[in-house]
Amino acid sequence: MKNILIFTKLTVQEAFTRKIFIFFFGVSVFILLLMSIIFLSADLEQMLPVLSISKSNGIDLVAELVRAIKMIIIAPLYGIGLFLSVFSVSSFIPNMLEKGNIELLLSNPVSRAQILLGKFFGGVLVVFINLLFLIAGIWVLTGLKFGIWEASILYAVLTITFTFAVLYGLIILLGILSRSSVLAMMVTYLIFLIVSPLLAGREKLALLIKNETVKGLLDVLYYIFPKTSEMGNITMLASTGGVVENFQPVITSFLFMILTLYISIIIFNKKDY
Amino acid sequence: MNPVEIKNITKIFKSNLGKVKITALNGFSLSVPGGTIFGLLGPNGAGKTTLVKILLGSVFPTSGTAKILNEDISNYKIRSKVGYLPENHKFPPFLTGEGVLKLFAELKGVKDKNLNYKIDELLDLVGMLKWKKVKMKKYSKGMMQRLGLAQALVNDPELIFLDEPTDGIDPIGRKEIRDILLSLKEKGKTIFLNSHLLSEVELVCDRIAMLDKGNLIKEGSVEELTTSKKIYTLQLDGELPPGLFNAEMKLLDNSTYQVHVTGLTELNSIIDVIRAKGINIISVNPQKTSLEDSFISIIGEAKNSNKNA
Repeated sequence: MKNILIFTKLTVQEAFTRKIFIFFFGVSVFILLLMSIIFLSADLEQMLPVLSISKSNGIDLVAELVRAIKMIIIAPLYGIGLFLSVFSVSSFIPNMLEKGNIELLLSNPVSRAQILLGKFFGGVLVVFINLLFLIAGIWVLTGLKFGIWEASILYAVLTITFTFAVLYGLIILLGILSRSSVLAMMVTYLIFLIVSPLLAGREKLALLIKNETVKGLLDVLYYIFPKTSEMGNITMLASTGGVVENFQPVITSFLFMILTLYISIIIFNKKDY
Repeated sequence: MNPVEIKNITKIFKSNLGKVKITALNGFSLSVPGGTIFGLLGPNGAGKTTLVKILLGSVFPTSGTAKILNEDISNYKIRSKVGYLPENHKFPPFLTGEGVLKLFAELKGVKDKNLNYKIDELLDLVGMLKWKKVKMKKYSKGMMQRLGLAQALVNDPELIFLDEPTDGIDPIGRKEIRDILLSLKEKGKTIFLNSHLLSEVELVCDRIAMLDKGNLIKEGSVEELTTSKKIYTLQLDGELPPGLFNAEMKLLDNSTYQVHVTGLTELNSIIDVIRAKGINIISVNPQKTSLEDSFISIIGEAKNSNKNA
């Protein structure tokens, strides 16, 4: 455990040095400042039409407004946040495997699995800290402005970090296999932005496909690949106070993460450096 | 118990889906006695670095076994008692000199209340104390090398592997590193040294092994390897009559001869003849060669025998 923590700390230090923290911190501060300015300059009456909320009987306008604001922020944050996070961590493994560095690391009384898990938790921690800062900041600002301290938005920290962890497992596997950060990044983006959304809509695709084998194959692929599209929906639902009823995307994505990490460790344990 | 015991070690690297096979180490055995400085020599591609990497767990042997400090090399925990300076090593560029030593002390499991003091001592030993707060990206090659040596010593190891430790270091620095190695030997440490600089190896090593194309060509003490068994200098108290011997004999000065023989039997026959002539022998000394000459000759012989085979 201690060795895993050492590598986790080292990865966080690496993120600091490579200005990943400063970049995310800067983006978060910018978003929070922008929100503060809007909140200070606009009142409730001005915000309602902008957010397409109309006054009607039985609706808590303030709660509706806060919900709309959360949706406006969380939806792009999920996509852009994950995109930037994948970009920022993709070189962690290839850097570690560089000649001259990996021999030194392996000459220590640490197992290869500990090194890899340390790198994994380090990357996840970096993204978690940055998301927590931004989303907790949004929660505080909306709380101060509207007096609604409903904390469901904080679930987004967990769901986005979880989705990132699933993708990071894949990045680690690809990094171990190829030692190329570019390849790891491209394949991860392919799955995140194209494969997963396509497979999420496989039922619609199935209407166009007559071959039962292909339909079956799509089903198999759907359950194998991480469900970033569905995780986006879960994030929106959870962070706006909705109830998540279907945990299948969470469970299968989690299994995908465990599998990629497990395969990464097996391959890493057998490779010469 | 020898700190390093290698038995029938073989390493075959495969590439192109196993179509191309390169034998880096070809089934040899080797022991490194404790408290010595052991030099591993060989031309580029001889397998020196591969051997060290196998011993330290970054490369797996294809067959054979090896032990360090009486533990199988697969037991990674034994590396807490080992120090290692790889060739062309890289430290995390965001760490300072002090940070590097703290990181590796942590990784080696060093539990020393006086770690900060010890780190200062080590940095001072390698002449890097002034640079302790400076980040790696500002370090020169020589400075990296000095810090690498301090890193290899941070856990007070029993066994130290150094791959080209004086690479990029000026002559004065090399002398300092040699002195450090000798003082470590005095403290009972075992040092396994990979180097191309034969003159340096000759100055510090007790025993040497020579590798070529993955084969162990020769192993022995520096004395054994630099002493010719075929050329002797004979000092007599008189001159020899001409044409006395079939063996090649060269007069060096008044009564000193250099003789080329095929072995000890021929040398003793020559001595018998000289004595029979009533000439006294003052001394018989085997010819000393530099390690470099010896290395070139041994590797050359190995190449010739490979060609003839």
